[in-house]
Amino acid sequence: MGQESSHAPSPEQLRADAAARGVHPTDEDLEAVLGFLTRILPALEDIEERLPEDTPA
Amino acid sequence: MSVDPFNAFLHGEPRAGGDVTTVAVKDVIDVAGMPTTGASKVLHRVPERDADCVARLRESGAAIVGKLNTHEFAFGALTNSPHFGPALNPWNRAHSCGGSSGGSGAAVAAGLCDAALGTDTAGSIRIPAAFCGVSGIRPSWSLVSNRGVVPVAPNLDTVGPLARTAEECCRLLEVMAGKPLPSREGDLKIGAVTFLFERADPGVAAACDTAVAELGPTDEVTIPLHEEIATITQLIMLPEAMEEHLPWMQTKLELYGADVRARLLAGLLLPPTAHATGLRAREWVRGEWERALGGYDLLVAPAMPTTAPRLDLVPDDFRLTLMPYNSPAALLGLPVAVVPCGLVDGLPVGLAITGRRGEDGTVLAAARSLQERTDWHELRPPTPVDAAA
Repeated sequence: MGQESSHAPSPEQLRADAAARGVHPTDEDLEAVLGFLTRILPALEDIEERLPEDTPA
Repeated sequence: MSVDPFNAFLHGEPRAGGDVTTVAVKDVIDVAGMPTTGASKVLHRVPERDADCVARLRESGAAIVGKLNTHEFAFGALTNSPHFGPALNPWNRAHSCGGSSGGSGAAVAAGLCDAALGTDTAGSIRIPAAFCGVSGIRPSWSLVSNRGVVPVAPNLDTVGPLARTAEECCRLLEVMAGKPLPSREGDLKIGAVTFLFERADPGVAAACDTAVAELGPTDEVTIPLHEEIATITQLIMLPEAMEEHLPWMQTKLELYGADVRARLLAGLLLPPTAHATGLRAREWVRGEWERALGGYDLLVAPAMPTTAPRLDLVPDDFRLTLMPYNSPAALLGLPVAVVPCGLVDGLPVGLAITGRRGEDGTVLAAARSLQERTDWHELRPPTPVDAAA
């Protein structure tokens, strides 16, 4: 954790993704979510890389 | 008429100390004829039937006296709904009572009811039990029916009791589960989770050390993958919460409080693979946990790393600092009892006793045993309240 993801989405991308599910956040909402995603996405990538292949679903 | 100076009750009236056990219910759990709001402006339903757990308590003779304040939709650690106001800590009203079952912790601590129901997805019974100086248990996942309970994340959600004593929690949980909760006999192997003591405030760690000494010999242990467990729990919780709320997010997004809205949107905007990765990673953790800790009957640690924060000085990283304490049992569906173990600067400290999944009776027997030999659970907050039946 702690390392910034090289794949952090842009606010425009987040807005489009939300709209595709029928949800319309404000700029302030997207700023809060981006802060969260910036923390969790590198951790998610790290877990996906280290997850043993034979781990059951 | 009795009073509620802690904003614990949203509906109904405080009542305690009579011939019948009075139970107040977190406002995400249906009580027939009383509104369920989740302390939100999004939901307002008046159910015709009780949640299963409430129905069982009523059948056993309990009186259901009201609905209790909660973090909005049980999705946060503070019980500071922007719509209904914060529940206040009976030990010091300037401090948080924790959450999300904060009204439940405050009501029991203040003697506004004999017992309360809370829910715990990722700490929501344990946090207020510790901060308010009462006993509580997050049961094993699926021990108690969640029918009639507003979901947060179905793969993690539990409903359980808070009361003055572990004995009372056990009695209530047996009713809610519909079966006795046997405890393991003989000498128990107990592990003390060292890094959770080291990360806690020194006064909190010292109080918990003293309580652990009453339980008997312990080994020092650590939790495998403990840095990853909080993230994995979020990967499961956030998308599941989002799916539960999606219809409201599409039509009423602006009615949510800012913090809950941000968490729901995070669940929406995580990569689509996140939830499946979280579920697979849980099995990875389960295997590592079994290898490292499978021989232990009980694990003990501070329930929380601090005492209750002041409402006006909650650190920005408050939820993050609690996650290592709350996430492992949430992720693996383990039972955890929290019992009071002293005061630091006039605020309660809680000890967490975690057991194997399905061994809720063993956890509660250890908590009862501790309370038979100590009197921390007898401590009462300084503010007198008249909630006599």
